[in-house]
Amino acid sequence: MNLILGQYYPAESFVHRLDPRTKINSVILYIIAVFLANNILGYVICGLMLLLIFYLSKIPLRLCLKSLKSIFVIIIFTVIFNLVLIRTGEVWFEFGIIKITSDGAKTTAELCVRLMLLVVGSGFLTFTTTPLNLCDGIERLIRPICFGKVSSQEIAMMMSIALRFIPTLSDELNKIRKAQIARGADFESGGLINRAKALLPLLVPLFVSSFRRADELAMAMESRCYSSEIRRSRLHELSYGKKDMLAYAVMLMFTLCVFVSRFAI
Amino acid sequence: MNFISCEDVVYEYYSYDEETEEKIPLVAVDGVTLDIQKGEFVALLGANGSGKSTLAKLLNALNIPKSGVVTVKGLSSSDIKNTREIRKSVGMVFQNPDNQIVASIVEAEVAFGVENLGIPSKEIRERVDKSLASVEMLKFLKSSPMELSGGQKQRISVAGILAMRPECIIFDESTAMLDPIGRKDVLENAFKLNKEQGMTVILITHYMDECVNADRLVIMSNGKIVEQGKPCDLLTDSERMKSLKLEVTPATELAYRLSSFGIDLEKKILTVDELYQNLMKLNMDKSKAPVVDNKRRETGEAIIELKDLCYGYSGSDLKKHAVLEHVSFDIKKGEILGIIGHTGSGKSTLIQHMNALLFADEGEVLYKGKNVASDKKELKKIRQSVGMVFQYPENQLFESNIFDEVAFGPKNMGIEGEELKERVYSSLKMVGISDTMCKSSPFALSGGQKRRVAIAGVLAMDPEVLVLDEPMAGLDPYSRKEILSNIRELNVKHGITIVIVSHSMDEIASFADRILVMNEGRVERLGYADEVFSNAGELNKIGLDVPQMTQLFDKLRESGYKLPKGVYTVDTAEKLLKELIIK
Repeated sequence: MNLILGQYYPAESFVHRLDPRTKINSVILYIIAVFLANNILGYVICGLMLLLIFYLSKIPLRLCLKSLKSIFVIIIFTVIFNLVLIRTGEVWFEFGIIKITSDGAKTTAELCVRLMLLVVGSGFLTFTTTPLNLCDGIERLIRPICFGKVSSQEIAMMMSIALRFIPTLSDELNKIRKAQIARGADFESGGLINRAKALLPLLVPLFVSSFRRADELAMAMESRCYSSEIRRSRLHELSYGKKDMLAYAVMLMFTLCVFVSRFAI
Repeated sequence: MNFISCEDVVYEYYSYDEETEEKIPLVAVDGVTLDIQKGEFVALLGANGSGKSTLAKLLNALNIPKSGVVTVKGLSSSDIKNTREIRKSVGMVFQNPDNQIVASIVEAEVAFGVENLGIPSKEIRERVDKSLASVEMLKFLKSSPMELSGGQKQRISVAGILAMRPECIIFDESTAMLDPIGRKDVLENAFKLNKEQGMTVILITHYMDECVNADRLVIMSNGKIVEQGKPCDLLTDSERMKSLKLEVTPATELAYRLSSFGIDLEKKILTVDELYQNLMKLNMDKSKAPVVDNKRRETGEAIIELKDLCYGYSGSDLKKHAVLEHVSFDIKKGEILGIIGHTGSGKSTLIQHMNALLFADEGEVLYKGKNVASDKKELKKIRQSVGMVFQYPENQLFESNIFDEVAFGPKNMGIEGEELKERVYSSLKMVGISDTMCKSSPFALSGGQKRRVAIAGVLAMDPEVLVLDEPMAGLDPYSRKEILSNIRELNVKHGITIVIVSHSMDEIASFADRILVMNEGRVERLGYADEVFSNAGELNKIGLDVPQMTQLFDKLRESGYKLPKGVYTVDTAEKLLKELIIK
């Protein structure tokens, strides 16, 4: 996996070009809609919305399915627990203590659909937005609720530095691991306690080096006039365009439709 | 008015004594008075711990003097109101390229400083593009800095500072962690900025060859300025430089020795060219053909054999990238084998095959005739027999005291009690660390000492072969020499076979029995030092430096002197030239 870009899939599409704030807010609206839906009609509307986003974002199908794969285990567990534990409604099948009922089947189906809609839908945010852009978006969104000692600027700086150092530290960890293996360290065998102990020769050097890096980075930032008290300007100031207004309008209409669908059947 | 002026500046660090809970002051800069004019190129030279980096941080208000005054453009750094203006005027490029990059995209990195100045987006854009263009990195605008080489990363950092429109740039050992190409890159940039844009440049380094072209040289030792003047006046005094834990270039060293022999040379020779010009003026005998006796040490039979090794990795584009292609050679018992090559030539990947940290895709590695990959249960044994010291090995230290740190390896092999103790003490002795330090924390040691403890940790496993990946990287000349002589001792006294990877041609040349030159994943050349350097042109072609003495002798041969090929040490060069020169 490419650690710098995360799940980002580079492409030129309508969704890729949207302001990150639009995308974050849209995902929130979409999640609300999925939870509002309580009948076939509602789920169909959500599914159609998903298809629309899929079409507009030019993300390959295999990538969307891949995100489903990651929750496969959760889905299996959901299915088993719900089928077995819900005992109300018409009995369809009985074997020993296992009893499958109509209510159980209905709840299970509904949960599965919801889970899949949620995972695939929210996946589009990370597929179409670089982590850096996401950071910018989050920073602007939380700006109004940040006051006093916590500033959104600092939170954004922390997030982007974390992103920047993930690949560096993972490289470093790999180097340390090899060096310790060369000294006869064994990370694979032994009981739980021994294994945990075996991690010390990895973690201590990693922490020491992170602190040293943090110290040097802070110095480099200060020497370039960074301070938490200043108001920074940005190379790319986020600004809403026509596309974003359109996207907001569509998302609001969609949520409204799902809400209305609750009373349709 | 002086652009920067220091008046009797003192700066102290505090270390904390855990037992007495007292703060112990440590004077890093001790009464420094220094003026720097606008447009000057000042080189600041000194051994590790001489206070040069601390002084640099005083110049852009990262450190505030304890007593005395530092002023930039007349503004005192002690007044907190001036901090911002001073930092804006005096930018600083640090040592470790990885630890000064804030952003994950090049353009955002360059914009970082300008953003801090609160400049509007449109102007930031202009400044970012312009400063990236001036370091010739504009095409990497949208790249991730992590994909760039060390030298390129440093250029990005320079661009980030240029975008803030400073009047002075300090390079604080910015070349110390780079390979020769990266070093050259950063230096050329620094000189270009100075000559073309009139930028004031302060270059801090412990490589003296980098200071040769500076307007002024300032030498520090123990927190004080001990010498100041023109580089050619200071750098040619071999004895004085050595007493300051610095070194002179081989060309200067040779000139110095010839002069003391009574040969009439100019006093101020810094480069191979200058020495060549001077020698040509002398009366030398063109008919004489002195011979050189290249003593080759007897070495044993092959201890490690690499046979037709191929190795590649699959990148993010799912394509296979070849790192090693059909590499075959032997390592002979008791020898010192030097491996040299560019960053990315496959050196580090190659050595990791020698103790089964990596496994070849094709081909095999034999240790004493046995394939290292054949029995996975025997891996520990192989790794014990072939010790591996990685680059910056001090980064792997983790124990709370030196004894436990060194004992980690042997303990993993199941060694206990008296034998363990003996191993730890003897390996510490081998690297020149005293037993009495055993209880102290490895983290409290100096850089060179930490490195030696880390090497002791590998030695304690009692290896027959010791593989070292750039064991001198980032150290000053004095510590480099110390580590080198330690390693030589391991070979001579204890009979350990040594494989050593290095960037420095001159160091490898003076040290190794045989040299392996790697280029683009292949063996470019393998042979005794004199054989490898007998054809300098080919080494130049793949962008590797040739030892200075080899350069000099090649030039002299071209001018008609019957000098042998493959001369690479000052000692041999001195002997041969003395035979030619008619007094």
